[in-house]
Amino acid sequence: MLETCRRGLADVRWGVSRWRVWWMLAWNDVRRRYRRSGLGQFWLTLSMAVTIGGLGFVYSHLFGVHVSTYLPYIAVTFVVWGIISSVVIESCTALTDNDSMLRHAALPRSLFTCRVIARNVIIAGHNMLIIPVVFAVFGIGVNANFLWLPVGLVLLVVNALWAGFFLSIFCARFRDVPQIVSSIMQVVFFITPVMYLPGQLAGRGFAVVKWNPFASLLEIVCQPVLGAAPGLWALLTCALTAIAGWAIVIPFAGRYAPRAIYWL
Amino acid sequence: MPSISLTDVCVDLPIYNSKGRSLKSALLAQAVGGRAVDDRDRSVVVIRALSHVTLSLDHGARVALVGANGAGKTTLLRVMANIYPPSSGIADICGKISCLTDLNFGMDVEATGYENIGMRGVLLGLSRQETAKLTHDVEEFTELGEFLKLPIRCYSQGMMLRLAFGISTAVQPEIILLDEIVGVGDQAFVERSRQRLKTLIESASILVLATHNASIITQFCSEAIWLSHGRVVDRGPAAEILARYEHGVAPA
Repeated sequence: MLETCRRGLADVRWGVSRWRVWWMLAWNDVRRRYRRSGLGQFWLTLSMAVTIGGLGFVYSHLFGVHVSTYLPYIAVTFVVWGIISSVVIESCTALTDNDSMLRHAALPRSLFTCRVIARNVIIAGHNMLIIPVVFAVFGIGVNANFLWLPVGLVLLVVNALWAGFFLSIFCARFRDVPQIVSSIMQVVFFITPVMYLPGQLAGRGFAVVKWNPFASLLEIVCQPVLGAAPGLWALLTCALTAIAGWAIVIPFAGRYAPRAIYWL
Repeated sequence: MPSISLTDVCVDLPIYNSKGRSLKSALLAQAVGGRAVDDRDRSVVVIRALSHVTLSLDHGARVALVGANGAGKTTLLRVMANIYPPSSGIADICGKISCLTDLNFGMDVEATGYENIGMRGVLLGLSRQETAKLTHDVEEFTELGEFLKLPIRCYSQGMMLRLAFGISTAVQPEIILLDEIVGVGDQAFVERSRQRLKTLIESASILVLATHNASIITQFCSEAIWLSHGRVVDRGPAAEILARYEHGVAPA
């Protein structure tokens, strides 16, 4: 058991420490997607701006929330939700997409989860450019609570890494899981306050947010940007999810990560 | 000192059909206790690709792997490259390994020649200076000139091979694992690439080469290992083993 854990931990350490490799691969992924287009990767920013602008005006009317509250909120949540959902969905194919590389050289499995996370952080970096514009238009500033952001981001990455690592190995064995995961993420999108404000869920509906770790994750990253301190409940939920997740994934990876090559 | 040491190594390869790949089927089989599943429909077939292989190679080893298709040559190379973890037994490999099986390792057709060289540099863990040296070396060897500034999807097949071969052979490894000798390009280039490969092989500490070509074995290898059905059937001086292998005489 101890030996298994040690092996799982070694894979993670080895994968993370080869940051030059996954960073390079991630950048190349982003560039290659937009290589032959005029705007390049700024297509990302543009399409995000259109989505947020369109949704913002229509849904603020539908929900009866003033646009100056609603639009900045979704500008931030959409960018962050983009990272969360893409990392979960794309991690499922992190190993299967790289089978030829894995068959050619001894590489840590966690390297490919790092690549997925880095890629989506880079994409979020482009999408993020909308946020200051929206804030300027509606005259919103940031305050001291912004300093909570690093805490939120660290918890986001720590959680993304264990979940993505687990999924990448599990999905190499069971090929119907990626489809299951993407359907689940669709449902999670609706029960997480991405498109609506958490306060709009009065009464019992609030439990959906309270017991939803995705909602907590969203809160701890978004609220500092929007000028509020993240709630203690959300911070605790994310910290506990991270601890529980790593406690499961390390022995799991120790046992199955080396074997994953036989499943590709 | 580079070395390869395998002790009682077995490799079992699971082969799944679409049912064995499905979480739904796996859960269903649990739920019904496996009774509803037809026994003849085996969703997992396990193939023993290597069986109780024990061998050790030290500095200066020049080994050829011979055997019929499916004898386990490629699997053994992958174990030696630390790519396949043994299902049982111990594989202990020290040294900088280069597996010249897939020359296109990590190459992206949308990226330019130069970008691909840079990417391989990062994959190999080279420093910036070493990558610059790699770039210079590849420029000189491939003679692709201005083409290196274009995305490699514009390259002809021959140019692509030149680049892939040039990059793959630019860094000197301690252990070289080869699955068939790669010869590339037009007449003039074949000679140069053979020369380059020869230099690379001669400077390496250990060479393991899987091939069917007898003349290549006699040129590069001093020793041969005969594999059959994942087992080491015979091992000894290259010429002897080759003669026995070609006559199909297995030792008693």
